[in-house]
Amino acid sequence: MAIDLKDVNFHYPEEPNQRVLHIPSWTLSAGEQVFIHGPSGGGKSTLLSVLSGLFLPSEGQVNVLGQRLDQMTSRRRDRFRARHIGYMFQQFNLIPYLNAFDNIRLASQFSQQKKTPELHEEIQKLLSVLNISANDWYRPARHLSIGQQQRVAIARALINKPELLIADEPTSSLDPLNKEAFMGVLLSIVAENDITLVFVSHDLSLSNYFNRIESLSDINRPEGSA
Amino acid sequence: MFGKLALQSLLDRKGSVVLSLMAMTVSIFVLLGVEHIRHQTKENFSNTVSGVDLIVGARTGSLNLLLYSVFRVGAPTNNISWETYKTIANTTKVKWAIPISLGDSHKGFRVLGTSSDYFEHYSYGSQHHLSFIKGKAFHQVFDVVLGSTVAKKLGYQLGDKLTLAHGITATSFSLHDDRPFTVVGILAPTGTPVDQTLHVSLQGIEAIHIDWQQGVKMPGSTITQAELEQAELQPKSVTAFMLGLESKMATFRVQRAINNYTKEPLLAILPGVALSELWQMMSILENTLLLVSALVFIAACLGVSAMLLSSIRERNREIQLLRVIGAPAYFLFFLIELEALLIALLSCVLATGLLAACLVFLQDYLVSHFGLHIGINFLTENNLYLMLAMICASAIVAIIPSFSGYHQARTVKH
Repeated sequence: MAIDLKDVNFHYPEEPNQRVLHIPSWTLSAGEQVFIHGPSGGGKSTLLSVLSGLFLPSEGQVNVLGQRLDQMTSRRRDRFRARHIGYMFQQFNLIPYLNAFDNIRLASQFSQQKKTPELHEEIQKLLSVLNISANDWYRPARHLSIGQQQRVAIARALINKPELLIADEPTSSLDPLNKEAFMGVLLSIVAENDITLVFVSHDLSLSNYFNRIESLSDINRPEGSA
Repeated sequence: MFGKLALQSLLDRKGSVVLSLMAMTVSIFVLLGVEHIRHQTKENFSNTVSGVDLIVGARTGSLNLLLYSVFRVGAPTNNISWETYKTIANTTKVKWAIPISLGDSHKGFRVLGTSSDYFEHYSYGSQHHLSFIKGKAFHQVFDVVLGSTVAKKLGYQLGDKLTLAHGITATSFSLHDDRPFTVVGILAPTGTPVDQTLHVSLQGIEAIHIDWQQGVKMPGSTITQAELEQAELQPKSVTAFMLGLESKMATFRVQRAINNYTKEPLLAILPGVALSELWQMMSILENTLLLVSALVFIAACLGVSAMLLSSIRERNREIQLLRVIGAPAYFLFFLIELEALLIALLSCVLATGLLAACLVFLQDYLVSHFGLHIGINFLTENNLYLMLAMICASAIVAIIPSFSGYHQARTVKH
C-alpha cells in the first residue's frame, strides 16, 4: 500500500468545532495513479497536506509508503517528505528569483542524498527530458513561461526520486495545448519510474488520462458521523 | 546553496534591502567613528604634555593650574617670584626647568614667555619634541616663534612683524605697539595647544612691560629700542614652570617639597594625573555621544527587522514551497537570521570602507582646522569587538522576524 488512511479526522486548532476532514477509510496501492476531482473548499488542500505530512491529523492513522506519519516527529516528517514525496502546486512551484537549475538543486538539498557532480548530471538529464532548452536553465524562474515553469516543477518534484507524487491542480493555469503536453510528459515519467500519483483537479476533462477516478466527496465526509 | 538562497532573496528585494543596508551602514559608521574619535581624542588629550614630571604654579586648584599652564585656558591666580623659580630649578633632583609667563595675547592667541629650554625639553604625544617647519628658536629679545595654527590662520611668514596686546582678549585696546616682534620660527603642527600659541622669550615679555605699571602703559615713556637692548631684562616673576627630574622616583618627594615650600604658597601637580582628572569631567559628554550612537545603531537594527518582518508576509508562497520540498520550520528561522546577518556583515564592510576613506581624506583637514590628530588605523582590537557586538546585536534583534518566519512555516495554509 502506498497510502492507507483510517478514521482520519482533521480540524484546524483555532476552529475545533469545524471538521474539515473525515475519512473513514481510503487506500491507494503502490504504482497506482488516481485522479481526485472535487470543488475547491472541499478539504482538498487539507487532505494533500495531511498526506504529505505538513499537517498532522487530529485523529486517525495516516500510513504513507509503509510509515505512520501521525507517529513521526515533525523533523522526521520533514525529512520523509523531502526524500519520498514530490509535490506540485497549481502555480508558484519555483522560487521566482532562483534559476531553474538552482530551484531543483535546492529541493535536493533537503534530502541530502546525492553528491554534487552526479546531481548536476541528473538535473541536466531531467531538464532535457522535460524539453527545457539549455538557454533557460540559468534564467530566474520568473522569466520562464507558465508552461516551462510547470515542467521545471516536475523536475523539481522528481529530483529526489520520490515514490509518491502529489499534484494539486498542476494544469489549472495552463492553456489547452500546454496542458496536453504537460499531462503527456508527466504521465510518461511517472509510468517509467513506477511512481504512485495522486492528482487532484476540478477539471474533469483530465480524467481520461487515468484509470482510477474518485470524487473527493466520496472520500471525505466532514458532515458525516464521527 | 542556503547562503545563495538568502543572498538571492535579498537581491530580489533590492529596493527595501538597499535602504535598510544604508541605514545600517550609516549607523555602524557613526558608532565606529565616534568610538575611534573618542579614543583618539582621549589619547591626544592625555598626551598633550609628556615628559614633564611636575608643573608648578601659585597655589590654586590642580585643574586650574593645568588649564592655564598647558591649555592656555582661564587665568592664573598669581605669579611666582623669580627667586623661588631659581631656587627650585637649581635643586639637585631637577634636571631641567621651563619657566612660563602668560598674560599677553595676539589677535586672540595667547603669548607664552619662556626660555629656549622650552623647545628642547617640552614634548607631547609619545615623547615627540617640538620641531620647526620654518626658521628656528628665538635668540633676540624681540623674536617670536609661532605655533602652526597661528601661522596658518593669520598668514604669517618668517620675517613678518607683529605687535602683542596686553591682556588675553582678541580686542584688547592696550597694545604693545611700540615694540614689534619679528617672526623667526614656525613650529610643526602638534595637535596640542602649542599650535595656538606665540612663543617669545621671557626677556621679550619683560621688555614690552618695562614702562608699564599696574597693567597700564605709563605716558611719556622714553626708553628707546637701543636702551632696551642694553638694559638687563631680568624677569621679576613667572606664571608657572615645568620641571623635568633626574629620576621619576623622586617625583612625589619633590612634589611634597614644593607644596611645603615656606617662602611662597606653591602647588606642584603631576600632569598625567591632572589630565585624567580633567578627562573624567568630560566623560559625561563622551558617554552621551556613545549612547546616542548606540541608539542610532539599535534603530537601524529595528529598521532591518521591520523590513524582514514585512517581507515575510509577502513570502508566504515561498515559505509554503520550501516546506513542501522538505524544509523544516526552523529552516525559515535560520534563513531570516542569515539574511539579517548578511545585511549586518555587508554594512560592517561598507562602514569600514567609508570610515577609512573619510579618515584618509579628512585627516589633514582635522589637523589643520581642529588640531585633531586622528589616526587612520581604526581597526583596533576594541573596534573589532565592537563590530562583533554589533553583528550579534543585529542577530538578536532579527529573532523577531525570524521567529515570525518560523511560526508562519509551522502553520502554513494553502
